[in-house]
Order: sequence, then C-alpha cells, then structure tokens
Amino acid sequence: MNRTPLLIFGAFLTFGSAWLGLVAYSYVTLGQLQPVADENTGGVNPPPLSGLAVAGQKVYAANGCVYCHSQDIRPRYLSADIAREPEAEPPVRRTVARDYFRDQPAFVGFLRIGPDLANYGLEKRVAAWNDLHRHLYDSREVVSGSIMPSYRYLYKMRKISGQPSNEAVTGLTGPHAPAPGFEVVPTEDAKVLAAYLLSLKRNDPLPEAPVETKE
Amino acid sequence: MTTSARSPQVEKVDASLRLPVLIFFGSAALWLVVGTFLAAVALTKLVWPQFLDGPAFLTYGRIAPAAVNALVYGWASSAGLGIALWLLARLGRAPLNYAVLPVVAGLVWNFGVFLGLLAIIGGYSRSIFLLEFPGFVSAILFVAYLFIAVWGIVLFRNRAAGAVFVSAWYLVAALLWFPGLYFTANALLVWHPVPGPAQAPIGAWFSSGIVNLWLAPIALAAAFYLIPQILGRRLLSYNLSLLGFWSFALFAAWTGMAQLIGGPIPAWMVSVGVVSSILLFIPVLVISINLLGTMQGSYGALRWSPSLLFTVTGAGVFLLAYVQGTLLALPGVAAIFHFTDVLIGHGALLLFGFVSMVFFGAIYYIVPRLTGRDWNGDGLIRWHFWLFVGALGVAYVSLTFGGMVQGFALNDPGVRFASSVGFATPFRLVAVLSALALLLASNIFAHLFFRTMLAVLEETKPLPEAVTV
Ligand code: HEC
Repeated sequence: MNRTPLLIFGAFLTFGSAWLGLVAYSYVTLGQLQPVADENTGGVNPPPLSGLAVAGQKVYAANGCVYCHSQDIRPRYLSADIAREPEAEPPVRRTVARDYFRDQPAFVGFLRIGPDLANYGLEKRVAAWNDLHRHLYDSREVVSGSIMPSYRYLYKMRKISGQPSNEAVTGLTGPHAPAPGFEVVPTEDAKVLAAYLLSLKRNDPLPEAPVETKE
Repeated sequence: MTTSARSPQVEKVDASLRLPVLIFFGSAALWLVVGTFLAAVALTKLVWPQFLDGPAFLTYGRIAPAAVNALVYGWASSAGLGIALWLLARLGRAPLNYAVLPVVAGLVWNFGVFLGLLAIIGGYSRSIFLLEFPGFVSAILFVAYLFIAVWGIVLFRNRAAGAVFVSAWYLVAALLWFPGLYFTANALLVWHPVPGPAQAPIGAWFSSGIVNLWLAPIALAAAFYLIPQILGRRLLSYNLSLLGFWSFALFAAWTGMAQLIGGPIPAWMVSVGVVSSILLFIPVLVISINLLGTMQGSYGALRWSPSLLFTVTGAGVFLLAYVQGTLLALPGVAAIFHFTDVLIGHGALLLFGFVSMVFFGAIYYIVPRLTGRDWNGDGLIRWHFWLFVGALGVAYVSLTFGGMVQGFALNDPGVRFASSVGFATPFRLVAVLSALALLLASNIFAHLFFRTMLAVLEETKPLPEAVTV
C-alpha cells in the first residue's frame, strides 16, 4: 500500500494546526491590538514614541542589546520582576502584548545577562542623559566590574575648537576619557539610542494589565 | 562494518551524490569551525569584557548571534541537507539526476550564510532570534533551499518500490516543514513585519520549530537509519516507530510557547506550550526506546564503529535534552530558570550534543561510501569524540549550575542584579575553557574531512571494493 499521501497529509495537518493555532491566531488577535485612550492624560496608551526613539530601536537591534537585556516583566506570583522595582511610581506591572505596540521589532528577549530594561526610562528622564552616555561609552567606569560591552564606537572623540560642544559627554574617566583639549560627543546613533532607552516605560495603565499590589 | 561487493545500483546512487553531498559536508565543516570560534569569543567576552572590546564588528551583540547563525544555518542545516539527500537516495535506491542544480543551490545557500553573517557583524540585523539575516539574504536562502529540497522530494518519489522506512518519513516531513517555518517567520517578522504585540509568539514558534521540526527530524532519521544498519539488524519495533513519529509531529510544533510563561502572550498559549511539552515526553520516550532498544546487547559494537559511537551518544543526548526541555517547561521551573544560562546550556545540548553528534556519526558513515576511502586516522576520530563529549559535558554542567544560581539570585528581590552576574562568572569561565576544547574538537573534525578530500583528489586509482567504518 502506498502510504505517501498519508505521510504528506499528516505532515501538513500537524504543522498546519500549530500554524493556525499559534501563528495565524497571534496575527489576527494580538496583531490587531490598538492603543487605548487614557482618561487621565487625554492621550493613548502605550503613548506614541518620538521619532528619535523609533530610530533608536534600530540601533538597539543593530548592536544586539537584546541578547543580554530582556524587556519583559512577569507577574508577581511567578517572579521577582515587579518586586525588584519597589520604588517605581506609578508602580510597575506585568507586561502584556499591547505594551509592544510601538515596538519594531518587539525586544522581549530571552536572556538576562544584563538587567531587564522594560522600565528603564522610568523617573530617569532628562537628568540621566549624561549618565546614560557615560555608561554606554565605558560601562566599567560607571559600574565597576560590569560585563556590558563599551559602545565607544557610537561616540566621536574630537579636538575642542573654540567653545566645547554642549552635547559633549561630561565626567568621563578611565583609559578612554578624552585628553585635555578633547571632547567626546555622541553620534546620531548614540543620541537616538539614548532617546529610545529613556522612553522605555511599560507601566501605563491598560485594561488588561492592572497594577498588582503587594500580597 | 564491511559492505563488500556493493551492488552496481548502490555504486550508481553514490556516484550521483558524491559532489553535492560532499559540498554540503565540506561547507558545514567550515561553518562549524567558524561558529564554534565565534561562540568561544562571545563567551569569553562574558567573563573578560575587555577582550576584543571596542570595534563595532566585535561587539558581543553581533558576535553572539553570528555564532548561533553560523552553527544553525551554516553547520547544522548544510550538514542536514547533505545527510537528507544521501539518506533519501540510499533508502529509495534512486540516483540523483541533474546533480548540478543542487550543487549550485548548495553553493548559493553557503553564499547566503556568508552574506548573512557579514550583515550581522556589520550591524544590519534586526535582532530577532534565528532570523537575524536581512530580508534579502533570507530570500536567497529560501530559494536555494527550495532547489535542494525539491531534489530530496524527487529522490523520494523515484524510490524503488517497497515499504517506506521510518527515516524517510522524518526526512520528507522535515523537508516540507522547514520552508513552512522559514517562509512564515520571514514573511511575518522580517519581510513585512507584523505589529509588535504579535511578534513574541511567532518568534517562539519559529525558534523552537527550527530545532523540533527541522534539525531534530533529520538527526532522528539518521539515527534510525544508522543504528540498525551498522549493527546489521532490524529496528526494535515498527509500531513504536509509527507511534513515535506521529506523536512527535503532533506535539513538537506547539512546545515553543512554554518559554514565554508570564510573558506578553495569552495565558492559554502558555498552557498549550506547557501541556505539549509534557506530552512530548511520550514520543521522546518511544523514540528513545526504539533507538536504544535496537542497541540492546550490542554496546560492544561501539568499540569498532565510531559512526555508531557518535550516533548512539547523540540518541542518548536526545533523550536527556528533551527530558530537560519538558522540565524547563513546567511553570515553576520556567519562572526561575528562564532568562538564565540554563537556556544556553540547554541550547548547546540540543545543537551540539544531540543534532551535531548524530550528524558527525552520519558523516563518518557516509563519506567513505561516497569516496571509497577509509578515514585513515581512526585515532583522531576517537580524539574528536572524547574531546567533543568531554568539552560539551563540562560546558553543559557548568552553564546549568551557574544558570541555576543566577536564576535563584534574579528571583530574590533582596539580591542585587550585579550579584547574579558575579555568581554566574566562575561557571562561565569553565564554559569558556570547554568552548576552546570544543573548538579544538571541531578543528579535528574539519581536518579529518579535508585531509580525506585531499587524498581523494590526489588519488587516481579506481574505487576499492570494500569500505570500512
Ligand atoms: C554582554 C551583555 C550586554 C550587552 C550586549 C548589553 N548590555 Fe547593557 N548591561 C549589561 C550588564 C551586565 C549590565 C549591568 C551592569 C552595568 O550596569 O553596567 C548592563 C546595564 C545596562 C544599563 C543600565 C541598566 C540599569 O538598570 O541601570 C543600560 C541602560 C544598558 N545596559 C543598555 C544597553 C544597551 C543600549 C545595549 C546595546 C547597545 C546593551 N546594554 C548591551 C550587559 C549587556
């Protein structure tokens, strides 16, 4: 008896069922999620990203930050993800599919060689700009013993001509600090990357993701 | 085993496959060395971040995905395609016609892998796991793949009459599944990306599918062929083969969701992933009983057949790796060990310990049959085996233990994040040293392969009758 049609049919059926159940389903349900209106702010959640932050996602992808950093907060009953950010205001909550609406691609991640960055931008905006650049420029000068790569290649070292640039990163130390008369300025890539990181905030109120209180 | 007096038909089949299959194996061997080297560099950076730090193209976030892609698309997929073609031809006693097309397609595939790695290193990746190659590269790979796979299916269609052996089921299924996986995932995540919220489950479906529906079935096909063939006996049970194959096909495609527990997907998807991971234990057990049961009472044969040694070890690791997969899918376990080095250890176990191990066994078996030349240097094959097994074992154990400690640290809000890195570091250091040993083992394999190729090229005398492995 020729069982070939059975084999081919069975292979299609097993594959096709998972394809429908996981891929097509995700596409037609999660893929259609839209931002929801926020009564308090009058805006929508998740809020739109600035153009800089959108560009920053590309730099984040090109340099493989996602192989060390997740952006995924799991619920309190499963993990310490929420308990790790006790001071966050508003409190952090588990991340849900809609949180990734602005993401292209969605950097959920699968390893935590570095800390989770889902809420990195929380309460750190603006003032942290220079600190963040110092960190990216040479992490071990900011966090001793850090294993995060240095992203010096996203910065330009140049001779100061006339006035120092007001974009220059200040307070740099260590072997790669600029010599007197030189300054380190972020490239366009570094600027948009920083803008993206500071935009990371995944605790806007969403109907499907209420804030969990401590039990 | 001595397969003396090979029939003219077998000779004809082997002659028709010589060039394409050897091209696949040769390029695979090169990518194995490249991939293992890049993996060793990446791991080193985790314990010694100053190492090669600075230039963009050497940064961890580019080297690590380059390593994984070199190993999955360069090494394992090329080797798997060569093995699949040879097995289908051999099983069906059908020669490969118009071999020039798969040869060209194989070269194009390799060129695609090369371009893709350059793109990752150059910063053109979108950092989606196993889909890092830019869209035009994955399109090249997809087209090249079709030309290769169609030849595999044609071989199957042209087979001599008779029952279809279990290996052929796995191969035909894998040849059909891969394009389904690769096309869907590229279409939805690379060529025309769907909105962010839908990406995580599709990505998880794809990355688990690459192992479960592509590499694993080819490795299982090879094991189902090689173990009884080398021992000169029948497979333990036909019914078990049937049960194993269909239950594996049914459950394996759904398991990927378990890793997203607590993540941004609907809860039922996670549940399906967990349940199917648990159910997958049934086919895994059935397949293992069938494979290892065939070995029953013949373990002495491992002494004289390196092919068998590699294949049976790979089959044993299959059981181990999939049992671990089931355990890692359990919600309580996943919650602690997801995001840790345990996953790296598990990935290495699947890719090196199971898939690569069986592929080595198959290549050691097939090449002498294609070239008519024995592997002179049996001692080196043993070196390859023990070094590989030892290095992988040490890397696996240390990454797993390190990852466990890391997981407990990450899940204790009282422990600073930096401590999780500190705890993992000594274990990662051991893994670096093992990765270097693994690199040496891969080099021995490549050396053996290319030395044999050179000898074949120099040789003018006709093929000897007897082939030994
Ligand atoms: C090799 C793994 C690795 C890679 C790749 C990596 N990081 Fe990190 N990152 C770490 C580690 C480890 C830490 C914690 C130590 C420290 O703060 O330096 C960290 C910390 C950070 C922090 C501070 C987090 C906090 O909560 O204070 C930011 C921001 C960050 N990384 C951004 C990035 C960006 C952006 C990229 C990609 C350009 C990147 N990282 C790539 C490992 C990595």
